[in-house]
Amino acid sequence: MMKKRDLKSLYSWAGSIVASSTPKKTEKRAKREQSATSEVESLAQDSHQGSYEKEDGFTVPSDTAVALRMIHGQFPKIDKVSVPPFVLISQVYSIVKDRTLVDRELEVMKQDKDVRVFKLSTGQDDFAIMFFDDYVSQVNAIKSRLDGKHPSEDLVIFDWYINHILPIHMDAGITDFHLESILSGVGHQIQERHISLLIKAGLLVRQLAHERSYWLAIPNIGSLLKSLSQGRKELLSLLNRRQYKEVLLSILEKKKLRMSQLDMRFHVRDLLGSGQLFLSHTPAGILVRIPRD
Amino acid sequence: MWQMVGRRETGRLPPHKFRALLQKTRLYSIELAGHKEIASAHKSGVNSLQIDATEARYLLSGAADGSVAVYDIEQATAYDHSTRTSKHEALFMVDKRVLNGHLYSVSCVHWYPIDTGIFVTGSFDNFVNVWDTNTTQVELQFNMSKKVYSLSMSTLATTHMLIATGTDDTRIRLCDIASGAFTHTLSGHRDSVWVVQWSTRSEWVLVSGGCDGAIRFWDIRRAGCYQILDQQCSQIGRRPPVLKKSSRTHGREDNLCTKYLNASSPIRQRGQKRSFGISAVDSRTAHYGSVAGLQMTADGLHMISAGTDSRLRLWDVESGCNTLVNYPSTYIRGNKGIQMAVTPDSSLVFTPSLNAILVYDVWSGHSYSSLRGHYDQVNCCAFHPQGQELYTGSNDRKILVWAPRRPIDIDNFDYEDAEQAIKADEDAWSD
Repeated sequence: MMKKRDLKSLYSWAGSIVASSTPKKTEKRAKREQSATSEVESLAQDSHQGSYEKEDGFTVPSDTAVALRMIHGQFPKIDKVSVPPFVLISQVYSIVKDRTLVDRELEVMKQDKDVRVFKLSTGQDDFAIMFFDDYVSQVNAIKSRLDGKHPSEDLVIFDWYINHILPIHMDAGITDFHLESILSGVGHQIQERHISLLIKAGLLVRQLAHERSYWLAIPNIGSLLKSLSQGRKELLSLLNRRQYKEVLLSILEKKKLRMSQLDMRFHVRDLLGSGQLFLSHTPAGILVRIPRD
Repeated sequence: MWQMVGRRETGRLPPHKFRALLQKTRLYSIELAGHKEIASAHKSGVNSLQIDATEARYLLSGAADGSVAVYDIEQATAYDHSTRTSKHEALFMVDKRVLNGHLYSVSCVHWYPIDTGIFVTGSFDNFVNVWDTNTTQVELQFNMSKKVYSLSMSTLATTHMLIATGTDDTRIRLCDIASGAFTHTLSGHRDSVWVVQWSTRSEWVLVSGGCDGAIRFWDIRRAGCYQILDQQCSQIGRRPPVLKKSSRTHGREDNLCTKYLNASSPIRQRGQKRSFGISAVDSRTAHYGSVAGLQMTADGLHMISAGTDSRLRLWDVESGCNTLVNYPSTYIRGNKGIQMAVTPDSSLVFTPSLNAILVYDVWSGHSYSSLRGHYDQVNCCAFHPQGQELYTGSNDRKILVWAPRRPIDIDNFDYEDAEQAIKADEDAWSD
C-alpha cells in the first residue's frame, strides 16, 4: 500500500525523468492531447502546493484528481442559477475503477484543502465534491450580495467561516458545539443571528436527525438537487419502459431530459457509479442497461 | 494444483505457503455445496446461527417463531445415494412448548465458549435464556425488560462468564451466569443497541454498535467507554509507518485525525488513547444510519462494521480510525442486526445483502462474488474454520451450506453406469 510520502517521491521521480528526457513544450502538448481539458497544467501547479519534493513545477496528479478535473470541465451550463461546477462522487467512481483508491486519494485532497466534500440531501450516499477555491469564491459572492441588507458585524461571520471553520473542519456536518469551540479558540464569539445568517445564505442546513447539528451545504443548490433526483428517475424510467431495459449509449446521448437542467452525460455517469446502470461493450457500440437482479 | 504439489515435493514451496495457497484457492471457489444439506427444522425465518468455538461441530440456530435447533454438521443423519448428498437433520428443537421457552422471535443465539453443554439465547420476548443442551431445559433466565437484539460471550474469558446483551434500551447490561445477576450496566448510547461483540484481543473489552450509528468500545473494568469510532477520522492504509516526522504535532501526513472535546484541545496524534470521561454531547457516528453488524478479525486488530447506510467500514482498532476501504454495492436495510462472517486468516468477509451473500476481500474492498441461493432476505452467516464452509440462514426458513468446489469423487465413480449411459446415446449408424 503506497503511503502518501512514497507517492510524492514517486511523482517527483517520474516528473524528473519526464523533465529531463523531453522538453517542456512537447510534454505540455502531449498532455493536452491526452486529457480532455487544458486545466491539467493548472492542476499540476496548484494541486501539490505544499509539496516539498516538487521538481521543475510538475508532479504527476493522482487518478482521482485527473478524473475530478475532467468531470468538472464537463459540467453542464445552467442558465438560471449561479452555482460553480461540482462533481458527484458516484461520477468519480464510474471513471476510476478502484473505489478504495478514490476514497483514499480524496481524503488526501481534502486534507490538502484542494477539495471540499458536501453531503447532499437527495439520497443516502450522495456526496458532492467542489474545489476549495470555487467554494470560497461562492461564499464571497454571497457575502457581497447580502452586503447592503445586513449590518457588517453580522457579515463578518462569512469571513470567520472562510478563514477559521473551513480550513479546520473537514467533515460534511458540524454541530453548534463545534462551531462555538472553533471560533472561541480564535477569540470570536458566535451568536444565534450569525448562525441564522449562514442558514439564510444556504451555507448551513439543519440536520433532521439531530438537533443543533447542521450539514455544510452549497448555496443555491436547491433547484439542481431537484433536477438531479428527477433526472435520475426520468432516465431510469426511460430504460425501464423498454422491452429489454437497455439502450445504446449513442442513442441515449442524443436524447434530452425534460425534467433536469443537468445533461444526460452527468446522469449516466452518476447512475453508473451508484450501480443502478451497467455498461457493456457490444459490436454495435456501448450498451447501457439496468441490471436484472 | 498438481504443479503446486510438485513444487512442494521438490522443496521450492515451503509447507506453510503450500497450505496457505491451497486454502486460498479453495476459499475463492465457494459455491452452493452439492454434497451437504441441512434440513432446517424451523417453520419461520432463521435469525441467528452460530458454530461452537470448541470443536466446530455443532450449529445452533434461532428462528423467528421462537424455536432454537442444534445440528451436527460433521456427522450426517442420512445419506442420499442418488444425489450423493449427506443430509443433516436437527438433533433437537426447542420452542415455546418447553417450559420458559421463548414466546417471540429469537434474535440471537450463542454457545457457551468453554463447551457445548450450555447455550444462551436472546429473544424479542425480553428474556435471555440459558439452556442446558443435554436436558434441553432452561436453567437460568434474565429479564431484560426490553427486546433483546444481540448477545455475546467472550471466547477469551478466563475470569468471567458474562453475557453482554444489546437491547432496545440504551444501556448495555452484562449478565453473569455464575451468580444469576446483572453485574454491569454500560450507558452511553443514545438509542437502542443492535450489536455487541467481545474483543478477540482482550477479555475485558466490549464493542457495541447502536441504532444511533455510534460504535463504542468499553473496558468493563472501568466506567464509561474509552473510545468512540468516528467515520471522519481516517487513516490511509492499515497502519501508518512510524516516521521521524510523526513526533511533530502538525505534520500533514500524520494528523488526519482531529477531535474536539473542548476549545483548548490540541490536534491529537494518531494512536493516542483519549482520556476517560467523554462528554455526553459526543455525537460522533461510525455510520450515517444504524450499525447493523460488527465483526472483529481473528487477531483483534481490525474490525468490520456494517451499517444501514449500506456501507461496510474497516476500522483499525488501536488507532480508532477508518481505513477508508470501500466495499461496493452492499444493500443493508432493516430493523435488526445482521451477522457477518470473516475467514480466520482475515482475507475474506461474507456479508448478507438482500437475497445474496457478498464476498469481499477485506483489505482492498474488491468484490469477489455474490452467492445467490436464498429466496428471501439473508440474516446471518457463520463460517466453519476447518471445513471452509459457510452456513447462512435467511427469512425463507432455510439454512444453506456453501463449500469450495469439489472435484469428482474418483473412488466412488461408477464406471459401468457411465459406460451404459454412453452406449445408450450411440446410434447404430453414426460415428
